[in-house]
Amino acid sequence: MIHSFIALLPDKCTSCMLCVRECPAWCIHLDSHTEEVTDAGARRPKKINVLDSFDIDYSLCMYCGICVDVCPFDALEWDQHRALISDSRADLTLGITQLTSENDSAN
Amino acid sequence: MTRYQLAEHPTIEVEVITAGLACCTLEVEAAATAGLLLPVSGEQISPAPSILVISGTVTDALLPAVLAQIDRFPEARLMSFGACATSGGPYWDSPPVTKGIDQFADVAVYVAGCPPRPDAFVAALLDLAHSGVAP
Repeated sequence: MIHSFIALLPDKCTSCMLCVRECPAWCIHLDSHTEEVTDAGARRPKKINVLDSFDIDYSLCMYCGICVDVCPFDALEWDQHRALISDSRADLTLGITQLTSENDSAN
Repeated sequence: MTRYQLAEHPTIEVEVITAGLACCTLEVEAAATAGLLLPVSGEQISPAPSILVISGTVTDALLPAVLAQIDRFPEARLMSFGACATSGGPYWDSPPVTKGIDQFADVAVYVAGCPPRPDAFVAALLDLAHSGVAP
């Protein structure tokens, strides 16, 4: 497989920040908040992280794959994708929707 | 100086100055090895290239030399090839590295990658050529 794109599976992401901290290029930006969830029959509510934003700045990314390796929940995966070419540097930063939909279109 | 032409678009010629800024420059040779570029004989330098490719790490020390080349060809559009030329790449926190050539010159197209793949180089060239730049 050609390692040309890192795709996000947002349902698996727990906002643990491991990928953000391990990225050598610091090209991942993640934002999340905490919500309380009360399960039926539980004695007290539990807190879960909810992913608000997840951006990969592909103008910085060196495609080393460390984020893919360190993710404990396999929320990041290698994907085949056309080359990222843009006339705007800002457009090389991809958010949740773009990181996910590219993933869907490749499958 | 090495000259190539695009295999699928022979009117587009690529001239490589053998003074690469960094490793991204090697992707041109990789494209040639993969058959995407075909070598052309002849040594003359094009008097008015329509596209200039900045590939590799631009350091503050080398920046004047790079800008001098850009100023020589005011008609040429710039391609920022790879993470270093675009944003400093892996050296984004290194003081002597220029964090993006676009601080000093208008860039027509950015190619992401570290380095980008050879087919990305060809795709970006065709992208520029088809957007109105005479090859």
